[in-house]
Amino acid sequence: MSRYRHDERPAIAYLFLSPWVAGALLLTIGPMLASLYLSFTDYDLFTTPAWVGLDNYRRMLTEDDRFLASVWVTLRYVLISTPLKLAAALGVALLLNRASRVQGAYRSAFYAPSLLGTSVAVALVWRAIFDRQGVVERTFAALGIETGGWTTNPRLALIVLVLLAVWQFGAPMVIFLAGLKQIPPELYDASAVDGAGWWRTFRSVTLPMLSPVILFNLVLETIHAFQSFTPAYIVSNGRGGPSDSTLFYTLYLYQRGFTEFRMGYASAMAWLLLAVIAVVTALVFRTARLWVFYSGEEPR
Amino acid sequence: MTPADPSLARRERKNGMRASTRGKAARVAVAIMALGALVAGTAACGGDSGDDGKVKLRFAWWGNADRAEVTERVVELFERQNPNITVDTSFAEFNAYFQKLTTEVAGGGAPDVIQMDYRYVREYADRNALLEFSDTATVDTSEISTSLLAGGKIDGKLYAIPLGQNTQEFTYDPAAWEAAGAEVPELGWTWEDLAVATARISAATGEQTYGAVDFGGIEDWFEVWLRQNGKDLYTDSGELGYTADDVTAWWELTNGLRQSGALTPADLSTKVDGSQANDPMVKKLAAAGFAYDSSLTAQTFEIYGREIAIAPFPSSSADLGQYAKPSMQVCVFKRSKHPAEAAAFIDFFINDPEASEILGLSRGMPVNQTNQQTIGQTLSGPPKLAYDYEQLVADKLKEAPPPPPKGAGTVKSTFQRIYDDVIFDKASPQSAAERFLKEAKQALTS
Repeated sequence: MSRYRHDERPAIAYLFLSPWVAGALLLTIGPMLASLYLSFTDYDLFTTPAWVGLDNYRRMLTEDDRFLASVWVTLRYVLISTPLKLAAALGVALLLNRASRVQGAYRSAFYAPSLLGTSVAVALVWRAIFDRQGVVERTFAALGIETGGWTTNPRLALIVLVLLAVWQFGAPMVIFLAGLKQIPPELYDASAVDGAGWWRTFRSVTLPMLSPVILFNLVLETIHAFQSFTPAYIVSNGRGGPSDSTLFYTLYLYQRGFTEFRMGYASAMAWLLLAVIAVVTALVFRTARLWVFYSGEEPR
Repeated sequence: MTPADPSLARRERKNGMRASTRGKAARVAVAIMALGALVAGTAACGGDSGDDGKVKLRFAWWGNADRAEVTERVVELFERQNPNITVDTSFAEFNAYFQKLTTEVAGGGAPDVIQMDYRYVREYADRNALLEFSDTATVDTSEISTSLLAGGKIDGKLYAIPLGQNTQEFTYDPAAWEAAGAEVPELGWTWEDLAVATARISAATGEQTYGAVDFGGIEDWFEVWLRQNGKDLYTDSGELGYTADDVTAWWELTNGLRQSGALTPADLSTKVDGSQANDPMVKKLAAAGFAYDSSLTAQTFEIYGREIAIAPFPSSSADLGQYAKPSMQVCVFKRSKHPAEAAAFIDFFINDPEASEILGLSRGMPVNQTNQQTIGQTLSGPPKLAYDYEQLVADKLKEAPPPPPKGAGTVKSTFQRIYDDVIFDKASPQSAAERFLKEAKQALTS
């Protein structure tokens, strides 16, 4: 194929690209720049934005106790829910990887929660289950353990959200499953010949061979966890309560922007989140050199 | 873990790059989500005007379906009597309503006639969004009491007309009080009486039903208590009218009652948000609670699952502290193209006897005194309770305080949020009160 042909009529190419380009400019780049500008202003939607320089960022980092509380809640959520979710996804993927005639049905069944996961309905159901006098509380009570309502207890409310996240392991599970199927069976045969047990095989064959997929899932799920909003919003009725125990960063951002109409402050928060996610993602890639193994195409 | 084979380092970096593009795409997705919401806020709808000589008004309000039904009937009546005016209505639930209204006002395309909440009227007036009622927009307010009208005046200018009147009250379950042998609350009872009675009910039911819903976190009830002590939520210049000591004293009172078991425990109280779904009294977990008398509708007894009664606030001073509050107000948008017609519609809405009869108590007591007396004879059930109660306390009610300053909505939610720390035993009333004062001042100044 000669490059000449491709370059013959570039106008046509741009014509076909134009929906995407227009969308990116108008719906992504434009609003992003607008919000970057707003993050340096005081803007309440009514009056013209007033330039305040770095004041929003300064107040966020030095004066705002709730901001720090929301960062702490979010970090705890990310650090607890992401590894648990990946572990659940990998565990189920390993179980489903065994040849079975009903494998397809199981795979769909385990994937279903992820389809529903981001919906408001599931968060509502979750709230009902963990509410005062809900199924969970009554189950514990039947065993003689008094827990009270989980969603109304500051020490348990975040766990409810973590469990909801873990339950939605479907997407990484399907990716793990695909990764497991890529592992050449001869490696397992070889390890069996060498007399390796299940654990040894898992550690020395499965994990290294799967590590690129683990990296991919880890990055994606970490970003998801940082951005998580709907469950906290629904379960806490938009308040992040009780006692700010479920005040996710995104929820606080929303409160600042859409209930207090401090759009400049909310924009600054959005940009800081973007920066933090970028840094965390970069760090994950940096560590990947130490533990991700690419088998490559060349014969070994 | 197995370390990567050094000979594969280049490939690894390449793959890493590819994956990082995905990460970048995801990061861009964050931005779209967070920031796309922002631009949506600035999108506006254009205004409209009829070219065929017909005037088209838009009227937006918050509420539910039964209020929608009576509102539509009044609109039809108005349109029949004013064939050259049509009124388009739209309504939503309270929070959604104000989110939409804010963006519409920002874009210059707000409805002509805007239902307004007392808490936000100054904010909107300060932002130059509301039209002053004057010669271009006249509404007959001669039948409205001056104290109620004061709630719509900012610096002496009238920006909001009350659509209904309500006042604070104490809702209780008479059967539960009788069963526990508690003294029935009536005009002149004190906070001490409340403490004794609620403790008795909790004890009599083995804390199956608490004496009352914990009222410590609700700024509205704190306000009445403050006024009984000669203070107000806000000074005339819009600053806080109380100190950390006042909040401490209030929270020590309520938290003490909670600790003794007289009031609902934290996990019940934290959910209280004014909705019936989250009201412990509706679930029969509490025998009483503070409320506004406009919450009594024809369905109240069915919702509570039992008959209820209402009484005035307890007071330990000579002052009852309650006031006639505009339960809802109505304003004209500053940039409305038809201010005269908008005002005429408002005038009809509050003064026309037939309209008033259709509306009933759906927005609180009618503000037109004559209409209010007429309607009193037609009521039955819970609305009748509210009506009689209003008559009982009428001469004890003081003038409504001027509309609260910008940021007052945040102060109210902060009040409840920080009280949560008290009832979950995470902070003492005093340290919580000090933190609240700090945050409240931030909300009002910045």
